[in-house]
Amino acid sequence: MSEAQFSSGGPTFQSQARIKFYCDEDRCIDCHGCDVACKEAHHLPVGINRRRVITLNDGIQGKEKSLSIACMHCSDAPCAKVCPVDCFYIRADGIVLHDKKTCIGCGYCLYACPFGAPQFPKSDVFGSRGAMDKCTFCAGGPEETHSEEEFKLYGQNRIAEGKVPVCAAMCSTKALLAGSGEEVSAIIRHRAITRGSGTPKIPYTWSKAYGE
Amino acid sequence: MRTYLYVFFFFLLSTFGLAQNIKEPVDFSQNTHIYGVKQIEQIKNWGINSPTSGVVSGNVMEMQGGSINPSMSGKPLEGIESLRGLGELFTLLQNKVFAPIFLAIIILVPLAFLTHLMIFKSKRFSHGISYKVFSTYNIAIHWLSAVPFVVICITGLIMVFGDKLGGGTFVRLARDLHGISTIAFAIFGPLMFLMWVKASLPKIYDLKWLLMLGGYLTKGRTISTPIPSGQFNAGMKMWFWTCTVGGFIMIFTGAILYFQLSSINALRLSAIIHNCLGFAIIALLITHIYMSVFAIEGALNAMVDGTMGEEELAILHSYYYKELQEGGKLEKMRVGKPHHH
Repeated sequence: MSEAQFSSGGPTFQSQARIKFYCDEDRCIDCHGCDVACKEAHHLPVGINRRRVITLNDGIQGKEKSLSIACMHCSDAPCAKVCPVDCFYIRADGIVLHDKKTCIGCGYCLYACPFGAPQFPKSDVFGSRGAMDKCTFCAGGPEETHSEEEFKLYGQNRIAEGKVPVCAAMCSTKALLAGSGEEVSAIIRHRAITRGSGTPKIPYTWSKAYGE
Repeated sequence: MRTYLYVFFFFLLSTFGLAQNIKEPVDFSQNTHIYGVKQIEQIKNWGINSPTSGVVSGNVMEMQGGSINPSMSGKPLEGIESLRGLGELFTLLQNKVFAPIFLAIIILVPLAFLTHLMIFKSKRFSHGISYKVFSTYNIAIHWLSAVPFVVICITGLIMVFGDKLGGGTFVRLARDLHGISTIAFAIFGPLMFLMWVKASLPKIYDLKWLLMLGGYLTKGRTISTPIPSGQFNAGMKMWFWTCTVGGFIMIFTGAILYFQLSSINALRLSAIIHNCLGFAIIALLITHIYMSVFAIEGALNAMVDGTMGEEELAILHSYYYKELQEGGKLEKMRVGKPHHH
């Protein structure tokens, strides 16, 4: 599916279907609800954090900001570009997924990722890295939908059930938004107008991930 | 009663306040492996134009620095941490450059040597009298380093072309072998370095060797003019330094990558160095195998039983031959029976 279908002109079916994450740093209260929910929903092992709440400028008065980040499901995903075994695939709706059975755990996707999303469990006896693990937008993986195998490797498939990712669903201040690009943009615009800040500033995470 | 309670709390709080004042400066040292810090590290220095991370820049506040550890928040980054754009650079190189260069090397280098072999033919030297030029220790250390080294090179290439090989178990096995063989090379490589470092120091006559390409552009089945070379010629010396010192750099950068020992920007730099040095190592390994197995008939014997024919020694290692002759060592190295094929 070409880039133009997502980015140009008015709302089309395709552009509505492209999913995006957005974290409103003016609303995030550092409660860690999203990452705990993610860990719980997907039964993630110790040491694996698909979503993290990070605090920047820690200890600098008035400049401290918290922000929830995970895989942003970039439209031009750098991880997929550098993977030596080509284990990534990008769904028509923009969700970036990978095949853990193909992944060799080399770590290159982590070096390419602007968001530090790829996680590596220490899996085998030699303490070497297992297959990479990252946020799936709660969309499971290449295994059969809702199969035991899919849950074991990738966690829940809430998208197949018509639900939003669990992190955004439970966010108490609705700082974290997940959904179609059009809908998320509309909410950001509405918030900016309501706050009286006029046109919303485009966050770097957003432009880095989605190229707008 | 309530007033007393307020007074009590007032004193209690002031005690905490005083205690804070008396204390040493707040200790921010912490476990960097706990959730958070290490992962914030990973969002730094991505774009060519972003001074810090994709997340810090523009999204929250513009900072000159980018350190995010509580103890030095906002301070300018230094050293490798401050190198901008390594994330974007790594992505570009790994996406477009590394694999095609490896492919070009493993196709073009053997093709060039095949052409060389067809035009200039394999060189032949008479094997009348032979001399034992390498000891059993030399030969043992050479092969104990060489076997894991070749395994490392092949498994490395399997990973580079992992997508063509389908990934999964096979390529994962190659990755594990890549690491395990490194342990063997890390033991015998340094022994090989110590064994041959003196003979591999550059000499003035190495320049002459390089200018005439070691006589390998001589037509016909033999070379008659003595080539300026010691025990090792300039080409062998180049290979020596690449596979030992280069090899040690590969071990170092590889260990950083394998154990993810450093910050994200150092990991990116390590991956870039590891691949670029890989080009030189693969190209020179192919050269080394061609020279020892195909370019000169029987040259491999020097690394099998340690012997070399007199003519080959006198022509291809003329300075070494002269040096042995003048030192009176040559006769002792003479092997009783002439070597047969």
